[in-house]
Amino acid sequence: MTGFESFVGVNPWTALFTFCNMLITFAVLRKFLFKPVKKMIDDRQQEIDTMYADADAAKQKAADLEKEYADHLQSIKDERDAMLREATARAQKREEEIVSEAKAEAASIRAAAEADIAQERKKAVNDLKNEIGGMAVEIAGKVVEREIKESDHQTLIDEFIRNVGDAS
Amino acid sequence: MNGPKIYFTIPLLGGIDITQTTVSSFVVMVLLCTAAVVLGGNLQKRPGRRQVLVEKGVTMLYDMVESTMGKHNSYWTPYIGALFLSSICGSFIGMTGIFRSSTADLSTTFTWALMTSFLCWGCSIKRNGVGGWLKGFTEPIVVMTPMNLVSEIAQPISMAFRHFGNIAGGSVLTSLVYSALATVSAAVLGLVGRSLVVGIVILAIGAALLYSGVKGKKMARKIFGTVFAVTGALSLLGLTGVPYLEVGVPGILSLYFDIFSGGVQALVFSLLTMVYVGNACPPPAEA
Repeated sequence: MTGFESFVGVNPWTALFTFCNMLITFAVLRKFLFKPVKKMIDDRQQEIDTMYADADAAKQKAADLEKEYADHLQSIKDERDAMLREATARAQKREEEIVSEAKAEAASIRAAAEADIAQERKKAVNDLKNEIGGMAVEIAGKVVEREIKESDHQTLIDEFIRNVGDAS
Repeated sequence: MNGPKIYFTIPLLGGIDITQTTVSSFVVMVLLCTAAVVLGGNLQKRPGRRQVLVEKGVTMLYDMVESTMGKHNSYWTPYIGALFLSSICGSFIGMTGIFRSSTADLSTTFTWALMTSFLCWGCSIKRNGVGGWLKGFTEPIVVMTPMNLVSEIAQPISMAFRHFGNIAGGSVLTSLVYSALATVSAAVLGLVGRSLVVGIVILAIGAALLYSGVKGKKMARKIFGTVFAVTGALSLLGLTGVPYLEVGVPGILSLYFDIFSGGVQALVFSLLTMVYVGNACPPPAEA
């Protein structure tokens, strides 16, 4: 039978079929399109969030490490400076010690030398005194060709020597 | 004006009519399901071009539902999407010329509108119980009860007729324009065909207009020149029965009545469904 339905009207069978078609379309779209796509989008979103969180954590860690290393470096530098300062101070002290030691030694050598010189001089003076005394007596004996009294003799010598000693 | 054609009747339960609407609604269902399985399959974490488009569409629907109904109602999206796509495909399938728009049948739109109403009632009953749902009709004051009942009954009727009227009216208008243009072309050809001289003159005017239109790049002259030339040629050949004026004008009308109207009505229908169902399912905090 071929005919037409009325233009404005509801055919219950058509309505039922439409209802069933709608339900099937809904179920299929939900199962095969909306749920998987939504899940995919959510998964990806989550993955991106995780990646960003990881990246932030790594960045934070790197910053921490950098700070740690900088601190470490600074402490090493400080230590080195302290060591250098100490070594310098020690060297300076040592230098002063050596110099003062050398000075002391030099002074003692000089003192010894001076003492030697004084001794030698004294000895020389005594030698000279004796020699000159002898010579004077001899010369005087020769010159005056007379015997002088022992007492006069002695007095003369002493006077002479005193004069010589004053002169020297 | 006829309703959908009844192809045949299954002689069961007092006769089950298989109409044009039944067929096109079935075809739409098959198309949508196939598209869903094809587009929703083989999803990748790194999407290709096709998947980007699919995701864009799905995200748009979810955003629309969430902005209209609230975030707690986003699980309604598949139903709204199915409704929207069925509606728009049901309207567009009429343009193929093979099927009649399934939405140009009140059976279809009324079923969908009733489904919306039942979903609203179901939501209300689920939240407040049957007593609470019935009590809702007496609010804000008892005197309002008849009006609330009327608005509740009018809601699916108005939705159904709005959608049905727009699509069916569009197709009625299009067919009216077709028959009017056929009449006009027959009349024009009848007038011109009475004498050979008039035909030749019209053809000459048409050719001249077309030539100057092509030379001067004037769209209007080209169109009118073509129309005149075809009129003259057809009358000279004695083909007075050709409804040649049907070319062009209905296509422009179809842009509005089929594509624009179909899209807008699908949008309006799903928006109204969203609003009604969203009202029946307020956010859990308010409940």
